[in-house]
Amino acid sequence: MVSLIIRRALQLVFLLFGISFLVFSSMYIAPGDPAAIIGGPTATESDIAAIRANLGLDDPFLAQYARYIGNAIQGDFGYSYQTTQPVADAISVRFPNTLKLAIASMIVAVIIGILTGLVSALKQNSLLDVSATTFALAGISIPNFWLGALLILVFAVNLQWLPVGGMSHPFYTIDGIKELILPAITLGTGSAAMIARMARSSMLEVIRADYVRTARAKGVKESSVIWIHTLKNAMIPIITVIGLNFGFLLGGTIITEKVFAINGVGRLMIDAIAARDFPMVQGSVLLVASLFVLVNLIVDIIYTYIDPRIKYD
Amino acid sequence: MKKYWLVFLAVLGMILLSACSQSTIPEGAETSDTGSSSSSAPAEGQEVIYASTTDAVGLSPILTNDSVSSSVIGQVYETLFERDPETLELVPKLAESYENPDELTWTIKLREGVTFQDGTPFNAEAVKYTFDKLRDPATAAPRASLLEPVEEITAVDDTTVEIKTKYPYGSMIAALSHSNASIVSPTADEKQDLMKEPVGTGPFKFVSWSTGDQIVLEKNEDYWGGAPALSKVTFKVVPETSTAISMLQTGEVNFLDALPGEQLSRIEAIENVEVTKQEGTPVYWLSPNHNTERGQNPEFRKAIAAAVDRDAIVEQLNGLGVRNDSIIGPKVFGYSEAAANGATAYDPEAAKQMVEENGFGDEPIKLLAANRGTFVQMAEIVQSQLTEAGFDVQIETMEWATFLDTARAGDYDLTFLSWSNVTGDGSEMLYPNFHSDNVGVSNMSQYNNPEFDKLVEQSRTTVDQAEREKFLNEANELLLNEDVGVVMYHGVVTSATDESIKGLQMDPNGQWSLYNVTRE
Repeated sequence: MVSLIIRRALQLVFLLFGISFLVFSSMYIAPGDPAAIIGGPTATESDIAAIRANLGLDDPFLAQYARYIGNAIQGDFGYSYQTTQPVADAISVRFPNTLKLAIASMIVAVIIGILTGLVSALKQNSLLDVSATTFALAGISIPNFWLGALLILVFAVNLQWLPVGGMSHPFYTIDGIKELILPAITLGTGSAAMIARMARSSMLEVIRADYVRTARAKGVKESSVIWIHTLKNAMIPIITVIGLNFGFLLGGTIITEKVFAINGVGRLMIDAIAARDFPMVQGSVLLVASLFVLVNLIVDIIYTYIDPRIKYD
Repeated sequence: MKKYWLVFLAVLGMILLSACSQSTIPEGAETSDTGSSSSSAPAEGQEVIYASTTDAVGLSPILTNDSVSSSVIGQVYETLFERDPETLELVPKLAESYENPDELTWTIKLREGVTFQDGTPFNAEAVKYTFDKLRDPATAAPRASLLEPVEEITAVDDTTVEIKTKYPYGSMIAALSHSNASIVSPTADEKQDLMKEPVGTGPFKFVSWSTGDQIVLEKNEDYWGGAPALSKVTFKVVPETSTAISMLQTGEVNFLDALPGEQLSRIEAIENVEVTKQEGTPVYWLSPNHNTERGQNPEFRKAIAAAVDRDAIVEQLNGLGVRNDSIIGPKVFGYSEAAANGATAYDPEAAKQMVEENGFGDEPIKLLAANRGTFVQMAEIVQSQLTEAGFDVQIETMEWATFLDTARAGDYDLTFLSWSNVTGDGSEMLYPNFHSDNVGVSNMSQYNNPEFDKLVEQSRTTVDQAEREKFLNEANELLLNEDVGVVMYHGVVTSATDESIKGLQMDPNGQWSLYNVTRE
């Protein structure tokens, strides 16, 4: 286990180097001048030149990259071109919101996903199964922004049960939970559908296994057959899907954050790209990449608990 | 088994908790200098919550040049002069009066008894400090060019400032009414970062800013013009306009501006929301690239102008555009009624003939459009109208930053350009957009005409305002006669407010003031 963690940590370092270089060079090559954006449409040539010089944008590419990496290694991720705020500060304010949203969506996704998958596997080819499979297909197909806008219209504007948007209360308060419900459903539906499909096929496979028949033949209660003998063994592929989805959720909350006016990392990243705010883009991409690796590591560790036969050492 | 799940959940929970405990620390410090403990939670009273699609970039007038920052800055800081929204005349604000002992000198008398929100007295030194900082190259201010003609600023006495210019500067007073020329508190600027904690003389003072989320201001009890009725103003970031409209409907916000045309009917249908529209200073025009052979051909430009039915475009804007041929718009200094119908009129038959005779349809035309606002919509309509006349038009749309680069480099045949004109002065429109000094930067049409340049320079270097108006009329007429650009429409500034909000002042340049607002 320890060696797994060390190995992954080393991989992460190389990965981050690679990603930072890719992001840095693509931002460098991309058309659009951050100084021109800061200057606004009314800035003159001399205004823009002064801003460029001030940001160090006139230096050669490698010099800029080396300076960035040199500082980043010392924990200094630079300052936003736009707001002059330290990148680390800007991210640390927004990351909790993204994390809250991702976790809440994951809870929605896991509960709905596993239950739907389970029911449709146990009642294969029944009306329940057909409707569950239809839900799964619809869940994967519905675009986030549409679902979000629809939920807002129904539950916030017409029924007025929940707020339209924003995320300003702590998550353990009633207001905090209310704020989370619509975004979590919006973001979690797609993942719920994927988990449901995986849970169904995985359960169907395991439920036909010899040892399940044996358990039933021995007269084990049906509930323990399902919850202990079957579900646990069907869990490996489901956990994989959950882990992958969680990684995507952390990096893929952009649209939901936008629709629900949530001040998160996804929005920060998109705004930074539009403004060619290189340090901010770099910082948020590195964060998302690290989280993805971290989530995958956690999934690998969970495997060993679910299936003790899996060993990494 | 169960136990491991519990451990996993507990770990997740802990991560969450530790992460969220950070979020409860507000970003950007509270006003620490006032010493009053109530400053962070304004006393109960009337409040207005405004929503914008992006966050402010920063709250220093010297260092920012975007509309959301200007909206906040306009409530916290003040300028020496301002343009009266009704009469469009420039009137004193923090100044009391001015005179020109000679063409190169502006002696400005300041208002007495004004203090900044941190208690620093407002005086000639503060004005000198602000303007010197704005024009210092080391500051790298986005609008340093506003004071480019300035040679020296002297604080003659406490309430008199003297500004010497290198050459006569006709739009000086207009430049001083620009929100970027707002006066900052020198003591605050030396002590703290005004980008994060602004201090001005305005009716509202800064409370807090959680970046990306909201900015809170409160009433300035000591405001020189008397304290405002509102006790609290919140600027909320709501990136999605349709979400903002839903929030307006439920009362989570109560003021929106710059309403998009396609959402207008939805907003107008909401009970208890009032929509206002008024003619503004922005102008949108179709421009040929004047650095190409075709763009320099007067026949080509005339054919384009004759082929574009501008009435049809204005009709598509749901009342958010005003039809007028003049490049200097009706709400801008330098406009002349005579120019309203001064451009080449829509005449599809004549256009067809010109295209045929000159073979303009043989080579494809690249029509560049930024994918924001009404640009793409206009591009589609114009494309079909030009095709009707026999042109072969291909639209290329791109995201804003890329568009700016491409248009500046002149990599297009036709494009849509726009100008919001904060100062409402015609020189401030013609010089950046059409003068050869600015080709490749703000002059994205690449227009270069020494005769025109001279007229614009005269409008800038003449101090007599009536004389200036004449030069601007002439320059504007020249642009229309040569079909330098085809004006699509002049902008309309809009707001949607909860009906309880009264007294909102909207300026033709889209900025507004909450000073006189009350809620009934």
